[in-house]
Amino acid sequence: MTTRRAFLTGLLATGLLPAPSWADVGNPALLAAARRQNGEHLIVGLSDQGHIQFASPIPGRGHAAAAHPKRPEILAFARRPGRFADVIDCRTGARLSRLLPPEGRHFYGHGCFTQDGRYLLTTENDYEAARGVIGVWDAAKGYARVTEFDSGGIGPHDVLLHSDQILVVANGGIETHPDSGRAKLNLPTMRSNLTYLRLDGALLEQHELPDDLRLNSIRHLTRTQDGRIGFAMQWQGAAGEMVPIVGTHARGERMTLLGGDDPRVLNLSGYGGSVSFSPDGARIGVTSPRGNALQLYDSRTAALIEEHRLQDVCGLAWFGGGFVATTGRGRLLHPAVRDGINREFADLAWDNHLIALRV
Amino acid sequence: MKHLCVSLLLMSAATTAQSDPIDSALDTHILPRMEELSFTSRRLADVAAQDCTPTSADLRTAYGKAFDAWIAVSHLRFGPTETDNRAFAMAYWPDSKGFTPKALSALLRTSDPAIQTAEGFANVSIAARGFYAMEFLLYDPDLSVAGAPDYHCQLVQRVAQDIASTAETIHQDWNDTYATLLRTPGPDGLYRTEQEAKQELYKSLLTGLQLTADMRLGRPLGSFDRPRPKRAEARRSGRSLRHVELALTSMRDLAATLATDHPDIAARILQDFDQALERARTLDDPVFAGVASPKGRFKVESLQQLVQEVRTRIETELAPTLGVSAGFNSLDGD
Repeated sequence: MTTRRAFLTGLLATGLLPAPSWADVGNPALLAAARRQNGEHLIVGLSDQGHIQFASPIPGRGHAAAAHPKRPEILAFARRPGRFADVIDCRTGARLSRLLPPEGRHFYGHGCFTQDGRYLLTTENDYEAARGVIGVWDAAKGYARVTEFDSGGIGPHDVLLHSDQILVVANGGIETHPDSGRAKLNLPTMRSNLTYLRLDGALLEQHELPDDLRLNSIRHLTRTQDGRIGFAMQWQGAAGEMVPIVGTHARGERMTLLGGDDPRVLNLSGYGGSVSFSPDGARIGVTSPRGNALQLYDSRTAALIEEHRLQDVCGLAWFGGGFVATTGRGRLLHPAVRDGINREFADLAWDNHLIALRV
Repeated sequence: MKHLCVSLLLMSAATTAQSDPIDSALDTHILPRMEELSFTSRRLADVAAQDCTPTSADLRTAYGKAFDAWIAVSHLRFGPTETDNRAFAMAYWPDSKGFTPKALSALLRTSDPAIQTAEGFANVSIAARGFYAMEFLLYDPDLSVAGAPDYHCQLVQRVAQDIASTAETIHQDWNDTYATLLRTPGPDGLYRTEQEAKQELYKSLLTGLQLTADMRLGRPLGSFDRPRPKRAEARRSGRSLRHVELALTSMRDLAATLATDHPDIAARILQDFDQALERARTLDDPVFAGVASPKGRFKVESLQQLVQEVRTRIETELAPTLGVSAGFNSLDGD
């Protein structure tokens, strides 16, 4: 796919030959957006031990981030309905550029790179048409907007690379329009789905939840090395309904919903904030800032196996031998690892997601 | 000299008890209510052992008193009630999938011998345990007469016994360990600072108010197009509105304690509670059956609104005094 010409342009675009790599950086291990007590918004890189390596200001509340697979740079996405995605140099924390969505689009807060690092893919709202869009940006050409294609539903929130040429998208199903902020416009008809797309936008496979779970919005994704997808949902129906919040899916199969009738599922208050597999895929964790809980499920038996209570917990990733979580109270910790990371940043409220750059 | 020391000690103890919201929350709110729960639950088991007839006035009275005691602690969802799913074992509600009647029907239909021992019963569906299961056994037109009479009697006795022993364990844990954990925060403690301990109490207050507004009132309200009166909590025993009153009364007490150091704030919070309680007392719709009519619905909605106002007051005025900020992620997540 990469022509010689494009390759060279790519190198030139970085401004340096040879291009810097992740090895040149003090190797940040974790990324998260945060808000300082003074109201400033940041994207923060953290070391293996959970020390801050860089903290770069961003123009508004952040959400998730994506790391370029080769170059030491990351994309910090605005929280929906935000209109910025900042490219940050991880060596210095300096902003290299700022992506603005095209007219009539806003970001949802998530994005990912293709395996070769050539393209960045972002979830976006074509809000006049109430259509979900995947925006394609060329990382080799200074993140020029290349094209876009249908996400396969309304409200695409999270997107992951499923395999070399395939994307998986969580279309949350909820229509919003910037004129009405974050108000939900289509609950009477909403329907969420999990969609697999080829990188050229061709729809490969799509799955919806059963009718009685129509009001469950699939929002966040995680994957195992062999391509099994985990997803977390957010219930839009009545409070107190016994509904699953976590599920898994492998291509060609039906979705599996976890937790069964374990009453502790109710402790999540119908809200999955982040989701993460363990590297072996045996366990899947979900956080709920509304329920102040982190729950771990056995992905094979679907049973809820562990619960940890943590105030305003939301960010979740696997790193350093266990699940690492962040909270809106500034904590960064391994809740279930003896002598693991356990830090508190009095000045910071960690935002929804924690991204591990390695395991 | 010795006397002086003692009296100084007493004085300082008295001052601490007065000014420390954690001590007074424990000594005047939590521990007495846990004791009441334990006492009334044991009484329920004793009465059931004597008379297991679902329509028995004695049994129903004992059940009502123990259930009252549970509702008065139902906001204290941390520590001893969360161990081993005890809160769910005491109170499996809301039960949107109808697990409780299903589990009870299955036991009654097969005369499942699992109920003959406490250990066996601990392994049946958690939805078959606790106050809401007991309500079906005593008040549901079908389940109060289902199964073999002897077996039904045994099941009533087992559920009562199970409630009593769970209540006793919760009470004991509070007395033996948890009260101390809350009272003496420290770097290696469960609560590292006094602030964290207060935040736990604050959180229970907020969660309880939310449960009252969203579940106790919100579930039967449903939507205007689709009111759901049958979702009202404990409607079979006619206790739906009563639970709102009991919960508000108990939470009012905790709020007063937490706001002790701020009399102005305390006064406003208590006034808000009183308004909601007054509305509840004059609602005249014990099981929220009125939600299906516009007029009845309006009354329940206005009570819900008043409960929300209490919550807003607590979040905006009490929270800052306890060093609590609204959840960054929980407020309006993505």
